[in-house]
Amino acid sequence: MKKMTFALSAAALAALTACGGNGDGAAEDSLGQITVGGKNFTEQFVLAKITSIYLEENGYEVEEATNMGSEVVREALVNNQIDLYWEYTGTALVNYLGQEPLAEQEEAYDIVKEMDLEENGIVWMDMADLNNTYTLMMREDHAEELGLESVSDMADYVNDNPGELNFASDAEFATRGDGLPGAEEYYDFSFGSDNVSRMDAGLTYQALRDGDVSVAMGFSTDSRIVNFDLKNLEDDQGFFPAYNAAISAREEVLEEYPELEELLEPLAEALDTDTMTELNYEVDVEQRSETEVAREWLEENGLLD
Amino acid sequence: MSRLNKNKIIALGFKAVFWFLVLYFLYWAYSNGYFDILFNQTDEFMTLLRQHMTLVALSSTFALLIALPVGIFVTRPAFRKTEWFFMNAANLGQTIPTIAILAIVMSYLGIGYQPAVFALTVFSILPILRNTVAGISSVDSEVLDSAKGMGLTPFQILMKIELPNASMPIIAGIRTAIVMNVGTAALAYLVGGGGLGDFIFTGIMLRSNEYLMSGAVPVTVLAILIDQVLRVVEKVVVPRSLRTT
Repeated sequence: MKKMTFALSAAALAALTACGGNGDGAAEDSLGQITVGGKNFTEQFVLAKITSIYLEENGYEVEEATNMGSEVVREALVNNQIDLYWEYTGTALVNYLGQEPLAEQEEAYDIVKEMDLEENGIVWMDMADLNNTYTLMMREDHAEELGLESVSDMADYVNDNPGELNFASDAEFATRGDGLPGAEEYYDFSFGSDNVSRMDAGLTYQALRDGDVSVAMGFSTDSRIVNFDLKNLEDDQGFFPAYNAAISAREEVLEEYPELEELLEPLAEALDTDTMTELNYEVDVEQRSETEVAREWLEENGLLD
Repeated sequence: MSRLNKNKIIALGFKAVFWFLVLYFLYWAYSNGYFDILFNQTDEFMTLLRQHMTLVALSSTFALLIALPVGIFVTRPAFRKTEWFFMNAANLGQTIPTIAILAIVMSYLGIGYQPAVFALTVFSILPILRNTVAGISSVDSEVLDSAKGMGLTPFQILMKIELPNASMPIIAGIRTAIVMNVGTAALAYLVGGGGLGDFIFTGIMLRSNEYLMSGAVPVTVLAILIDQVLRVVEKVVVPRSLRTT
């Protein structure tokens, strides 16, 4: 028995050494090794893939560590387990830095960029024009029928026809100050608590499509908005907080690879909310692989040589 | 005799410690402001409480109306062979996670009250059915024989011999079903069914103890209260000679 244990550990040791050897060998002709992290939903899988493929094509050796919750992926970045990942300004501002949510995109980004570097040594690269924020949605035909384009239009309609529209929300949005109560106060209307059904966040799209409710909360880049013929009501007075995506990385990583920030710049430049919704649609609805979708997008935008 | 007393004293001691802990917990939660929601949003709380109780009442009634007749049906000698089918169907109802039942029926019943009531009903059938069948089956066959010998009709045997003799396990099954139902009804939130689950899930999402406690503690209290009420019902319904406790 003892002999076998010894043999096994020897084999394991040999395997480890071999791996180490291989890694070193590959590192010689690559510019360096980078671990790209990501969260656990479609958009994040696509963003992580885009970044990995792009870095690989530019001569880096890339490892991927995706499928983590917000808190976990952030923890992994802080603890050096990953080198960079796409984070949202609103999430960092409220959850990691304990600030009040802000609707103004540039302002939110500036605060996050400054505070996170100062307090945590985390660098925020350029942000994309990709804002995965809360949105109020209606069925496209219903909105057209009532002539509603924006949240202001809807607020007026609700005030003129109290109790006619009902609303689907998750528990968080129904309660948070940057959610429904805040929006009702900001736009000066009220659905009334009898007309608000609280349910799981993912269900609101279905409830709206099936006509169970007339207005619902959603996330602006969810592909079901396209797929279910839903319409985002324009946040014309700019209430909802900004959740712009940007790559966040540790300071030391950028000291080691100072060229990274400039190299990754074109990614953030080319991504916007509509593009992201389309990419999510390709994966969620058309059932294509994230790798395929990511590579195709990179090629279309001339980001691969 | 002295041993019995000793056991009784130990049991009493445990009870006292338990109640002390419960009361201390409630005091602690209260002094931390964890029940603030109850006072600040009393209207909202009352609405959710009413919804919660309606969910439980409706689904428990449906479960009772289904499980009791089915339990009696499968224990009739002529239909004994169908027991296998109904028990497995009920088993299935409880084995599928409530969330999955919700998700499946939602496609047909939409969102809101109906799918929640449906799922809770399916979930509550098994304990009642199983105890009804077990209770009726456990009635002594010699008692049944003598009843037959006395010339009672099958219906009289059911009403005068079988059901009274089985009442203890049947009510125990109903108690189990309803008490579990009170807790499970919190999941109604997921499909927009309302109830105190709204507060509980808000608490989980916002990491707010205020919401969590203001939802969870009333649910627990409700379960305990209903259990006590059913205990009284048990005392009234179960013949004195059959009581084991």
